[in-house]
Amino acid sequence: MTNKGKVNFFLYTYFPVILLFISVLSEFDFKNIELKYFSFEFSYILIFYYSLKRRDSLGYVAIFIAGLFSDVVAGSPMGMSSLIYLLLCGAAAYLRNITLSPSLFKDWIFFLVTLLILNSLSFMLLTLISNYNINYLDQLISVIVTALLYLIFSYIFNFVDNFLLGSNNAS
Amino acid sequence: METSRADFVIAIRSAFLKKGTKQRFSLLSLIFFSLIFLTLGELNFRVIEHIKTGIKEIVYRSSFIISGPENLIRNNYSTIKNHFILYEENQKNISELEILKSIDLSNQILILENDKYKKLIDDYFINTNEVYAKVLIDKESPFLRSVVLNKGSRNNIKLGMVVLDGIYLVGKVVEINYLTSRVLLLSDINSKIPVSMEPGDVQAIMSGNGSETGIIQYTKTDSLKNNDDDLLVFTSGAGGLFKSGIPIGKIKKENTSQKGEKIVNFYKDFSQLKYVKVLSFSKEKLALDQLSKKRITKIENQIQAINKTKENLRILLEQKEIEREIRLKIEEENTILKNKIIKLQNEILITKANKKNKIQNNEKMYIELDKVFGKKCRKTIFNNLYKYGSEQYRACVLNKGKKN
Repeated sequence: MTNKGKVNFFLYTYFPVILLFISVLSEFDFKNIELKYFSFEFSYILIFYYSLKRRDSLGYVAIFIAGLFSDVVAGSPMGMSSLIYLLLCGAAAYLRNITLSPSLFKDWIFFLVTLLILNSLSFMLLTLISNYNINYLDQLISVIVTALLYLIFSYIFNFVDNFLLGSNNAS
Repeated sequence: METSRADFVIAIRSAFLKKGTKQRFSLLSLIFFSLIFLTLGELNFRVIEHIKTGIKEIVYRSSFIISGPENLIRNNYSTIKNHFILYEENQKNISELEILKSIDLSNQILILENDKYKKLIDDYFINTNEVYAKVLIDKESPFLRSVVLNKGSRNNIKLGMVVLDGIYLVGKVVEINYLTSRVLLLSDINSKIPVSMEPGDVQAIMSGNGSETGIIQYTKTDSLKNNDDDLLVFTSGAGGLFKSGIPIGKIKKENTSQKGEKIVNFYKDFSQLKYVKVLSFSKEKLALDQLSKKRITKIENQIQAINKTKENLRILLEQKEIEREIRLKIEEENTILKNKIIKLQNEILITKANKKNKIQNNEKMYIELDKVFGKKCRKTIFNNLYKYGSEQYRACVLNKGKKN
């Protein structure tokens, strides 16, 4: 394998993990560019997609640690994001187990339902246990936009994987 | 039915309990671990607190590094955008500057007067423990509107300290680590600040609404209804955490939320914070004790010296007063004595005059008697009387002749 091939293989293997940690550690948010009613959780899309399509690409421990990091950056109670991420992983694994013929539309519907349930859970935990005040509308918008963008990002991730894997096979 | 339920259970068990080839822990064990973490964190368990602090130190630094490129892009975008509106702003600024210059002087006077009156009512606070910090992370989380600063307990940052950008209030410190600290912004939904609104001096509590503005809560609706002007919002100082009079924002008369709440537009854009000032306020007396004990001692010594001099002066003045009284008494006595002397002198003169008159009268009587009785007393050849001019002769004349 050439050096380029090695780099591509490394990127193919660790791309999801690197992207996950960048997304949780980065302070970038679409709210910064002053688009009202536009915010989404990129990490949810990433975790769901790669847990569904490439089960070993994201380690559960890495997801757990990324959740802790996300909590620290966002200021939410420690363990909250880890719990949501892992439950999202579990949902993706369940979908993978019960699916015989994968379809993007089914994945998307399942993702939307999962997001609604998990956000309800996080909303309950934060408001009832941790006494946080959360703007319910903001969170609902975030869920809807995240679900909508899943379709776009699944194409992008698929393209990137094919590109990295393709060039790796070629070399 | 039984088969589909069994399939569901198998799928769930497989998803949550089965480990992949590269997985070290099952999903369920990590979910339990997250729940334990969450629960113990809520109970402020000490070990979890230490782990939290460690993770925070790592994450804040890492996040700052990772956010470098995007911050660079964002700053460049902001710079370019600013350049486009620079000319227009410059023209506006020039005209505003002229107006502000004229207002500034009267403001200075008002500030001085305000300080003086606050000192009078013992409400004068001064800045203590002022620290400048850089904003490391500005994550606009849906849960929390906060920023992370690059100064922590090592730099004497304490919980509840006030955070300002320029002179404008930004938020307060809600979490402290050794090297970093978290600031809860005014726009956060959990932020509650006691504020005053002018004109009208309306007291209220301002809360964030999770976006870029704040809302006014807990105030009488009638007190704002009749107001047709824009309202200025600043800290009221109630509760003692914030100094009164720190500017926060403005309420435009047409700005009302759907629920009828007044919306506060902050003076500062919290998404553009770069450097902030973290400080606490304390009463002037306390601060002086801490900052310049030597100076106070010196002043106290000076005051003591002045008091001593004042006491000496008082004693000297008393002595002077006593001496004045003595002098007056002496002068009075002197006057009395002088009068006595004059009186005595007059008496002497009168006596002398009387004596002289008596002598003159005697002499006159002697001369007259001498003319008549001189012959009877004067010594001649024919008698053995007295020699003219002698005492016997004189006595003889006055006796009107020699008596036998």
